[in-house]
Amino acid sequence: MNEFLTGNQAIVRGALRAGCNFFAGYPITPASSICSDMIQALSERGAQGVQTEDEIAAIGQCIGAAMAGAKAMTASSGPGLSLYSENIGLAQMGEVPLVIVDCQRMGPATGGATTTGDGDIVFARHVTAGGFPLPVLAATDAASAFRLTYEAFNIAERLRTPVIVLASKDISLTRQTVDFNAVQLSPLIARKPAAADAPFVPYAIEEPADVPAFAPIGGRQRVRFTGSIHDETGVLTIDRAKIARKLTHLREKIMLVRDSNLAPGESLEYVDVDLDAEAETLIVSYGAADGAAREAVAALRAAGMRVSHLTIYSLWPVPHRMLRRAMTPRVRRVIVPELNIGLYGDVLRGFVGEAAIESILCFDGRLIPPQRIVEHVREPSSYRTTA
Amino acid sequence: MPMVTTQRADMSFCPGCSHGIVLEQIGAALERMGLQPEQVCLVSDIGCIGIADRYFSCHTFHGLHGRSLTYAEGIKRVRPDLMVIVLIGDGGCGIGTAHLVHSARRGVGIKVLVCNNFNFGMTGGQHSPTTPPHGCTATTPDGVVDSPFDVCQTVMVNGASHVARCSAHDRTCGEVIEAALRSPGFALVDLWELCVAYYVPTNKLSPPALVELSERLELPFGLLRSIPRPAAETEPCPTVERDPAAASGASEQGRSITWRGRTEICVAGSAGQRVRSAVGVIGEILVAGGVFTAQHDDFPITVRKGHSISNLVVSDVPIQYTGMDAPDVVVVLSEDGLRRLSGVSSLKPSCLVVAEGSLVLPPVSAEVRRFDLRTIGKVADKASAALVIVTAALVHGKWIEPHTLLAAAKQCVSGRYAQENLRAIEAGCRLQLSMDASSPMTVPD
Repeated sequence: MNEFLTGNQAIVRGALRAGCNFFAGYPITPASSICSDMIQALSERGAQGVQTEDEIAAIGQCIGAAMAGAKAMTASSGPGLSLYSENIGLAQMGEVPLVIVDCQRMGPATGGATTTGDGDIVFARHVTAGGFPLPVLAATDAASAFRLTYEAFNIAERLRTPVIVLASKDISLTRQTVDFNAVQLSPLIARKPAAADAPFVPYAIEEPADVPAFAPIGGRQRVRFTGSIHDETGVLTIDRAKIARKLTHLREKIMLVRDSNLAPGESLEYVDVDLDAEAETLIVSYGAADGAAREAVAALRAAGMRVSHLTIYSLWPVPHRMLRRAMTPRVRRVIVPELNIGLYGDVLRGFVGEAAIESILCFDGRLIPPQRIVEHVREPSSYRTTA
Repeated sequence: MPMVTTQRADMSFCPGCSHGIVLEQIGAALERMGLQPEQVCLVSDIGCIGIADRYFSCHTFHGLHGRSLTYAEGIKRVRPDLMVIVLIGDGGCGIGTAHLVHSARRGVGIKVLVCNNFNFGMTGGQHSPTTPPHGCTATTPDGVVDSPFDVCQTVMVNGASHVARCSAHDRTCGEVIEAALRSPGFALVDLWELCVAYYVPTNKLSPPALVELSERLELPFGLLRSIPRPAAETEPCPTVERDPAAASGASEQGRSITWRGRTEICVAGSAGQRVRSAVGVIGEILVAGGVFTAQHDDFPITVRKGHSISNLVVSDVPIQYTGMDAPDVVVVLSEDGLRRLSGVSSLKPSCLVVAEGSLVLPPVSAEVRRFDLRTIGKVADKASAALVIVTAALVHGKWIEPHTLLAAAKQCVSGRYAQENLRAIEAGCRLQLSMDASSPMTVPD
């Protein structure tokens, strides 16, 4: 059944479908309705939703709740993501399952509160100190916002990591026609519980890519949590071998899952591939620019042109296997429409060999019209076109 | 298993530091209360006191500087039955003042023990918010001139239910801590301590001098407040009946409406004209009728003033691109809306422009029709004028048959404004838009 919902409503649906039972947030356009709708929905379900004094308290409460066993989410926009920064590092180091939604707005600082953009994509990846990987998913519309929020909980639970879900004003506040029953979801995943009969070691792993089993704070097994570098017992360490083991683990539990040959829903590669083996042009799109890319591809093909299209939902880690698959032998041009200054195009340059990256950019709060992509594919005006 | 598992002499604190005494007193108080380690969570802040977690056998959580209250509140909300203790220094109370104030205000039943030694011991003896006037530190070599931060008063004026101040070297310290732990709501104890590495050598502080300092600063020791207030997290959340109009828009649907191709509809008016809700109602009806729509709005952040523009894309196939580049219908309800619209003069010739009679439009090649806002009240609620006119525009342009739209509307319109909206759609279906701005419209009897 089709419904007429905003991206934010879809995000709330996705969170609830995934079993989210704790939300803390601070109001900010264009994410505010997630905060109010989550608080309303959780109170109806006898769970906790709270509006806090600031974004730091919001993510802090989420981290505490998650370590007590809750499935927690917070939601904000770019300014709030900045305030989450330090605590995202805590969630990485402490291995906290946590979903963070960033409804992007245009530009730095308070930017354009009611205008759209995809300018936080690199910031989201590098949002915290230390330089360790962080899964980042980007929605393209209400349906994918629903799906990716749900999948973000699965990733967070499975890998015990914070996961960022990106939307933007034109997804968050745009009402779209969605049939949620038609959206494919992977089976619900819960974090691996610690064995009840064995002594509990909070961060015990066999191999670096393993994920430690979880026991909640307040359970029978006593939990030790710290954001400082620690050994497997959760106690601060200065032992170099233990430090290397812990930090290697933080990298490999995410990167090895990305690299292993897993089925969709188990790997971290979330993409739509629409390939033409004869194509010389590959369009790579994500976020709020994806819809125009889809329409442009349809129009170009209707006009007899051979083009391939890759929609990337899992921006980080970069889905390199899927990118390689999309780089069929004849591809010479990789066209990347983006609602920022060309951030992902710069990243993709390392993955496309000799092919040229051609950016189609708009960062003034408008969307890129499909026609502009069509015209660029037919007659490239310059490699870096702006609005 | 004892709550504190390490002898004071074996703890990493400097010899003579008060932290070890406080930890012993906490452990003893919890044991007197009969609590087992798994019933307690100790949340430690940053600074020397932050390393205390390793000496406890209970659940421990060691996070970021000043944010210990937020983790504690999250844990307490999920597990109201747990004893959740925050161990924080005077520095943590400074950087985390917002959380101190608002946790107290919300009345969450966490127990905050402030290990206040008047300076930053871990980073080299810099001044903290509680450093007394004239106190010499690494960053105030000539003595502090600022007023000291009164942690107790701060939480008291903001709703804390149990507040006390005490010297860590006083023999009643353990009882003071225990009384706070036994209090049901938000409790805080300001424990005055000695930092033997930095503050004591420079400022000649000692256990007796702490008492004198309390008198000099007029920050008295003792129980400052104890009023019963139940912990916030154990109170059920108040639930309110939700306005059905704000619900999802889900409804029974069929395939009662046929649409051809893609249509872009732009409605431009002012705040208060219910522009966005009018377009939303049309969108819901069309979706319920089996058509695909996307609505995106443009409005200033002050929602009750200025322009309000709502765009609706309607299509017989799923809509990928929700932007609007070449509208097929433009409805202009007000001067605010007209000013905000760009490119009116370059609208395509096939576009239908429906504008309020008094508005002066730039030259357009598109078809222009007029209506009169002042007379809407004769056919429908004045407040739903936007819905009347949008309906009239769609019917006039033959995008939809009036009876089809009405039937679909009757099937799906719900919520507080259901009847009002139906009346508006009925009125819009009967409205004859005029070509003449001076006699803008007629309504057949």
